[in-house]
Amino acid sequence: VRISVRAGWIVVGLLWVAAVLVGMRALARYAADPGEAAEAPPTWPATSRIERTTNRPTLLVFAHPRCPCSRATVGELAQIMRNMPGGPTVYVLFVKPGGVEGSWERTDLWESASRIPGVRVLVDGDGREAELFGAKTSGHTVVYGASGRLRFAGGITGLRGHAGDNAGRRRVIAALRDDGAQDERNVVFGCPLGDPKP
Amino acid sequence: MSDARVLARSAELFAGHRMALHVRTDRLFAWVMLAQWAFGVGVALSLSPFAWAGRIRTTHAHVYAAFLLGGVLSSLPIVLAWRRPGATATRHIIAVAQMLWSALLIHLSGGRIETHFHVFGSLAALSLYRDYKVLGTATFAVATDHYVRGIAWPESVYGVVTPEWWRFLEHAFWVIFAVAFLVSSCRRSIEELSRICLRQAETERLSSLETEKSRALDHALTELAASQEGLQRLAALGELTASVSHELRNPLAGITNATGFLRKKLVDAASREPRIQQFLDIIDRESAACTHIVGELLDFVRERPPALLPCPLRPLVAEAMSMVPRRGAVELSNDVRDDLPVPLLDKEQFRQVLINLIQNASEAMAPGRDGRVTVRAEAGEGRPLCLVVSDNGTGMTPEVAARVFQPLFTTKPRGTGLGLSVVQTIVKRHGGRIHVDTALDRGTEFRVEVPASSGR
Repeated sequence: VRISVRAGWIVVGLLWVAAVLVGMRALARYAADPGEAAEAPPTWPATSRIERTTNRPTLLVFAHPRCPCSRATVGELAQIMRNMPGGPTVYVLFVKPGGVEGSWERTDLWESASRIPGVRVLVDGDGREAELFGAKTSGHTVVYGASGRLRFAGGITGLRGHAGDNAGRRRVIAALRDDGAQDERNVVFGCPLGDPKP
Repeated sequence: MSDARVLARSAELFAGHRMALHVRTDRLFAWVMLAQWAFGVGVALSLSPFAWAGRIRTTHAHVYAAFLLGGVLSSLPIVLAWRRPGATATRHIIAVAQMLWSALLIHLSGGRIETHFHVFGSLAALSLYRDYKVLGTATFAVATDHYVRGIAWPESVYGVVTPEWWRFLEHAFWVIFAVAFLVSSCRRSIEELSRICLRQAETERLSSLETEKSRALDHALTELAASQEGLQRLAALGELTASVSHELRNPLAGITNATGFLRKKLVDAASREPRIQQFLDIIDRESAACTHIVGELLDFVRERPPALLPCPLRPLVAEAMSMVPRRGAVELSNDVRDDLPVPLLDKEQFRQVLINLIQNASEAMAPGRDGRVTVRAEAGEGRPLCLVVSDNGTGMTPEVAARVFQPLFTTKPRGTGLGLSVVQTIVKRHGGRIHVDTALDRGTEFRVEVPASSGR
C-alpha cells in the first residue's frame, strides 16, 4: 500500500510538471506570436493628413486604444523620448473603428501617451491613416526621415505586452539619430487594429 | 541522564523542532500559493481583461493563464502542504512553484521591472525553511527558466535576439548573490537551533535530577513522619511501661518479703509436706524473673544522662561477672589489664552493659557444652577505650546479627528483647559505639568503643 501511495504521488508530481510545462510554453508562445505582417510605404504617403516635419525625422505609432499589449509600446515610446530630448516629431494615432460612439478611444492608454513630453496624440477615424501607412497591428511604429523616406517600420517591444530593452527600440533610436539608417523592419506584437476577417 | 542520552535527547528535540518548522512553513506557503493565485487572477483581470481586434473583444489569454496555469502551479503545493506537510519533496516542490510564480507574475504584469523583486522576496520567504537545499532548488529553477527562455525567446529575457551564451549566468549570478547570504543565515540559524536543543536537553536532565531528588526527599520526609509517629507511640508506651514497672516493683518486693517470712514460718510444715517447699521455690523464682523483667524495662525507658566518674575497668568487669548467674560449664575470664587508663564512666550504667553482654555470651553456649566467655580491653595513645566481650558459642546468622540491637527482638524463649537495646543506648549516651562480629558456630564478639576523652 505504501509503495502504491508513493507511486501515486510520483505520478501526480509528473502530471503537475507536465501541466506546468505545457502552460508556460503556451503562454510564452502566445507572447512571442507577432501580429499580421504589414508593408509600410517607402516614402511618406502624399495623401496623409498628418503633418510631416521636413527638417527632422517624424515618428508615428498606431495603437488600438483598448489593447492591453500596447501599454508596453507606450512605455517603450516614453523610453525613446527620454533619449531624444527636443528631437523628432512624434504622433500616437489611436485607431477608432467605425461604428463606435462617444469617447471610446479615451482610455488609460490614451492618457499615458498624452503624458509623454513631445508626443502628440490623435484619433485615427476608421483607421484611415493606419491603412495609408500599412499598420495592421497595435504598436506598429514607423519612422520617416526629414527627406520623407522610410527608416523604420515595425514594433518596439520584444514580446506581446512585454516591457524591456529590445531590438525594435534600439533600431528606432538609431533611425531617429542617424540619417543614414534605411528601411529597418521589425515584427509587431499587439492586437489587430481592424475587425477580424469573417 | 548520561551525556549520550543528553545528546540523543538533543537530536530528538532538534528533529522535532525542524519538523515543526517545516510543517509550519509548508502551511504558510499553502496560503501564499492561494493568495498568489488570487492576486494573479486579479492582475490579469485589471490589466488585461480583454484582447481586442478592432471593435471585437475576447477574453485575454492572460486571464486564462492566471486562472488555469496559476491554479495548476498552486494546486500541488497546496495539496502537499495539506497531505504531506514536513516532507522533503513538499518544500522542494513549493520552491519550484514559487519561482515559477515569479515568472508568471512578471509575465502578467507585462515584464515590469518591479515584479522582478518577487524573485528575491520569494527566496527570502523560502529561507524560512532554514534548509539551504531548498534555496538551491529555487536557484536551479530560476536558472533553468532563464536558460530555456534564453534559447527559445532570447529577446524576452535579454532584450537582444542573439545574446552571449553566458547571459543566463549573469541573471543567475544576482540570484546566487542573494542566496549566498540566505544560505549563510540558514546555516547559522540551524547551528543556533542545535545549540538551543542541546541546552534544553541539559536543562531537562537537570530538571529530571532535581525531580528525582525532590521525590527522594518527599519519600524521606514521609518516612520521617511515619517514624516520628512511631516514636511518639513508643514514647507513650515507654512512659506507660515506666509507670507500670515502677508500680510493680513494690508489690514484687512485698511478695519476696512475704515469701521469706513464710519460708521461715513453714519450716516444719514444709518438712511434712514437700510441695510447700516446692511452691515457695516457684514463688521465689518467678518473682525474681518478674523483678528482672521490670528492671530491664526500667533500664530501657529510663533516660538518665550518665554521671561520669573515674571507674577502673577490671574491678567493674569482675563485679559484673559476679552478678551473672553461673550456667553449666561456662567459664568466665576477666582479661582486662590492671594498668589500663581509668576511664570516665557511669559505673552503674556501664555495669549493666557488662552484665547484659556477659549474660548473653554465657547463654549463647549450646546446652551441655563447655564454653568460655572472655572480657578484654584495649586503650592508650589517643585510641578509644575498646572493651571486647567474646564467646565461643553458637554464633548468629547475618539476619539475626542485623537485628540484635532492635528493641523487643529476641531469640530466647523467655527473653525480653531489651538487653542489647539497653546496652546500645547506654554506650551511645557515653558517646561511644558498639559492633557485633559473629559467625554461625564460631562464636560472637561484641566490641564497645568509648571515646578516648572519656578516659584518663
